[in-house]
Amino acid sequence: MTANLTAAAEDPHAPVLRVRSVVMRFGGLLALDGIDLDVVQGERLAILGPNGAGKTTLFNVIAGDLRPTQGSVAIKGVDCTLLPSRHRPRLGVARTYQKARSFPGLTVGDNLYLAVVGKRGRHRSLLRTATDRSWRDRAVEAAEAVWLGRQLDTLVGALSHGQKRQLELGMAVVTDPDVMLLDEPASGLSRGERERLTELLDELAVNATLLLIEHDMDVAFAVARRVVVMFDGTTIASGTPEEVQHNPLVHEIYLGTGAA
Amino acid sequence: MSRRLAPGGTVAFVGLLVLLLALPAVSSSYFVDFVMTRTMMLGLAAATIVFLAKYGGMISLAQLLFFGIAGFMYGNAALESGARGLNLGWDPWVAVVFALGVATAVALLLGAIASRTTGIYFLMLTLVYGVIGFFFFAQVITISGPGGVTSIAPPDLFSEPVRLYYAGVVLSALAYAGFRAIGGTPFGLALQGIRDDPVRMASLGFNVPLHRTLAFTAAAFVAAVAGLLNVWWNGQIDPASVSIGPTLVLLIIAVIGGISYFEGAWLGAFVYLLANNYMRQLPLVDRIGIREDRFNTVIGVLVLVIMVLSPEGLAGIAAKAGGSLRRTGRRSPSGPSAAAGTAGERTEQPDREPARTTGTGEPSPATPTTKGTVE
Ligand SMILES: Nc1ncnc2c1ncn2[C@@H]1O[C@H](COP(=O)(O)OP(=O)(O)OP(=O)(O)O)[C@@H](O)[C@H]1O
Ligand SMILES: [Mg+2]
Repeated sequence: MTANLTAAAEDPHAPVLRVRSVVMRFGGLLALDGIDLDVVQGERLAILGPNGAGKTTLFNVIAGDLRPTQGSVAIKGVDCTLLPSRHRPRLGVARTYQKARSFPGLTVGDNLYLAVVGKRGRHRSLLRTATDRSWRDRAVEAAEAVWLGRQLDTLVGALSHGQKRQLELGMAVVTDPDVMLLDEPASGLSRGERERLTELLDELAVNATLLLIEHDMDVAFAVARRVVVMFDGTTIASGTPEEVQHNPLVHEIYLGTGAA
Repeated sequence: MSRRLAPGGTVAFVGLLVLLLALPAVSSSYFVDFVMTRTMMLGLAAATIVFLAKYGGMISLAQLLFFGIAGFMYGNAALESGARGLNLGWDPWVAVVFALGVATAVALLLGAIASRTTGIYFLMLTLVYGVIGFFFFAQVITISGPGGVTSIAPPDLFSEPVRLYYAGVVLSALAYAGFRAIGGTPFGLALQGIRDDPVRMASLGFNVPLHRTLAFTAAAFVAAVAGLLNVWWNGQIDPASVSIGPTLVLLIIAVIGGISYFEGAWLGAFVYLLANNYMRQLPLVDRIGIREDRFNTVIGVLVLVIMVLSPEGLAGIAAKAGGSLRRTGRRSPSGPSAAAGTAGERTEQPDREPARTTGTGEPSPATPTTKGTVE
């Protein structure tokens, strides 16, 4: 992991993530309309916004699942705009999906193990080595961290919705990422689970840079130090949780009743 | 997951292997030569369909093409003169390497193209491969010889039919164990991840098209090995043997056996060949209108019945039967069969095969002078 940090370490003030004038068009629909975003090392950022604001689309562009129509994305100083998603893990990036995307035909343990293999290599190995054992151990730790320690040998297809969400988070955590993109990690979790999730994110995010899309304000404001609000493909506000909460524009179009 | 054979499964596997190796001592040579040898080579080829479908979610109709390419290439390289084809006159073992090499190289190219498609598009593309392959061999008669390449002899090692049978058993056992073992390796797990969600696998860092290409190439290599056994057994190969009919027969074998069970490939081949060889000898079968030329209709009905009873094919039926047997707490007296049921959700009952084998009796048919092709 230390090797991955070198690019950022050269200039401690350079942003880990730099998004410049990103435009994303789906046919006639303008999903992102010129997004600029800088995230520095160790920052915890929450992205808020109503349904259809373009939050997930922004994640897809950063993670390489979508190529932006215009604009650029740089991670740790590396221009990633056209780099396919499979190069992200080795840059230290891990993401989760809003709708859990795990491998239903494999066990929880195998899902987590694949996440480790994906980042560390040996993708095409036909041997199981001692390295695998340490990676397997890492998978077990991650399963325990997201409260799936007893489901290691359960097929993911048989997990509950909430458990799939936990696994989704585990698959990001298990790679020890430097940059984590979490798309609504708390959705579908019970109140108690949300509180534990908040604690977990607090623990995990000590070193990692965290970008969090979250509708749940309690989670978002508890975890994040900075909040960006998106609406209709643009960012309409940015600042500390307090500043954003008192922003009249945000009140008007997101937080509800036409205040201000 | 059926990553490794459970202890009971290993016992069943080894037991079956011993039975199969002992079979020539107790069974008629017709049965060994015309049913069991072909079961091994068609099962081996069908197992490559299962491998791609089960782990990779790719239903390939191109496996018989690689089977055929290996046969044609061997025939062209090994024959010295007189016969049709290129008559390169190489040492048979050099011809083996050449045949496997060409089939694998073609698979690497075709696999790279197909690796960006999934589902029905992959199926259609591999069908197109099969059709192109057929027309290639049908039209390029310098390679396929007018009417096929004939008088092909196997390497001396396999000049006796029973040795070909043993080779089929050993290669099938290796492929079966190998395919199952791959399921638990990083490569195999990643392939299953790609089957479930390729986008997610890419975002975890995997090169999805490369992975698919390599799986396709590995499967083609095994299909080519099966194709060599076939051409040694048959002594000849013609373009019709890689046409659409036999292509579908191979898929049907995998489907009636159970497309998510490796053992199903050989089980399907066995049932297909039993029907093919013995059905016409059943008493009164001609009275109900099942004549030689209607055989394929009967096979079709057989497939239909199996599919309706169990979409998971014969191996699926066997696994279910094993499961309910376990649930009632009874152990079958034959031991290995019940023990095989402990392997988990996808267990096999491989020991059923020899039980039927020995029970089939000796039909003593008039030995055909020429051996048939796949169909
Ligand atoms: N692949 C796609 N093709 C076409 N349109 C898309 C695609 N992905 C997103 N969109 C559209 O882009 C807009 C933004 O969607 P996005 O998923 O980014 O919203 P969001 O802010 O994540 O909303 P939510 O809170 O509901 O998750 C929506 O109108 C959506 O329908
Ligand atoms: Mg979203």
